Amino acid sequence: MSTDTSDSSRKGTSFSLDTWALIVAFLLALAVRFGVLKNIPW
Amino acid sequence: MASSISLPRVGSGSPLLNALRIVPGVLLLAGIGYAGKVLERSGNAYAKAHHWTFPNIEYVLWAILIGLVISNTMTIPKLFQSGIDTYEFWLKLGIVLLGSRFVLADVLKLGGISLGLVVIEITLSLALMTLLGRLFKLKPKLTSLLAIGSAVCGVSAIIAAKGAIDADDEDSSFAIAAILALGALSLFTFPAIAHSLHMNDVSYGLWAGLGIDNTAEATAAGALYSDAAGKVAVLAKTTRNAMIGFVVLAYAIYWAGRGQAEAVDNKAAFLWKKFPKFVLGFLLMSSLVGFHVFSKGQVASLGNLSKWAFLLTFAGVGLRTNFRDMSKQGLRPFIVGALGEILIACLTLGLVVGANRIWGL
Repeated sequence: MSTDTSDSSRKGTSFSLDTWALIVAFLLALAVRFGVLKNIPW
Repeated sequence: MASSISLPRVGSGSPLLNALRIVPGVLLLAGIGYAGKVLERSGNAYAKAHHWTFPNIEYVLWAILIGLVISNTMTIPKLFQSGIDTYEFWLKLGIVLLGSRFVLADVLKLGGISLGLVVIEITLSLALMTLLGRLFKLKPKLTSLLAIGSAVCGVSAIIAAKGAIDADDEDSSFAIAAILALGALSLFTFPAIAHSLHMNDVSYGLWAGLGIDNTAEATAAGALYSDAAGKVAVLAKTTRNAMIGFVVLAYAIYWAGRGQAEAVDNKAAFLWKKFPKFVLGFLLMSSLVGFHVFSKGQVASLGNLSKWAFLLTFAGVGLRTNFRDMSKQGLRPFIVGALGEILIACLTLGLVVGANRIWGL
């Protein structure tokens, strides 16, 4: 269990977690759109 | 959910070294998640082969249970910690990708209903938790944190509010422990209650999204019921998360007015800083699918990528739940949280049943 209560917006990383999630999600979407990733199974 | 939580800090070395440090933990998340998938498939096949009447235990539950057993029976080596902490990244990635499985019209319709219910839920939750905090004589800022955590989005809301209202680390830890413990319990109680009430997928998804505080637990509890319920739970919870800025701003102004927190000069900038940006990603992804940017097969691939991301999240939910650590945080905040959560669960259930009668969900 993480009870780290520090406000990490002040930490040194340049992007927030949301921004990273957005970047990776849309890179994946581009890869799927242009056929780099095809037929991802489940 | 706070937008201000950055990637786990894994050290002060080079970016490549930091990236490598998360690999063991991410592999552990993936291993546990995949084991959950294998257990679901093999358990069902075994029961079918032997003509057993056995409830279908979904991969979600297996992944959480394996994580819970590991985190509560052994000490997880530090080597894995940085990677395990990425579970929230996988959650947000999964939510953005899940946008591809929603038609924008459904988002607007269900989101509109969710928004109305969320406003009522937040108002009632804040009032209730404040009342309970005063009754049990909790410290005022601890009461504020518990109220924000239970009204909006659990741990992330507490972390976002901590800086804004200048709360102690100890109060924040108490509030987080209470919210996490109750989130773990809701994983098992919400689906059981919903099954006994024969709730449909949309009603249950709305209830899970409104009644469960942490986004990861709300997503897992929704997926435990059904795939469709999981989608609705994420939508309702995302709508709730979008309100975080307004709630935290109101508390920041309240505490600043009492001279116990810094005044907020630029309210618009404050709201934007606290707004969870992945909500915009979810809406954008849904819009792109609405404009036929992706083929049917590509939409299916994006949906499956979302499921893989959630698989890692569910493993993380189990791994980060340590009951021994939670018990060290004291009983009173937990009792206040538990009482509040039970009442909020009843209230939100009533709201959803009412909405179902009015709109026929």
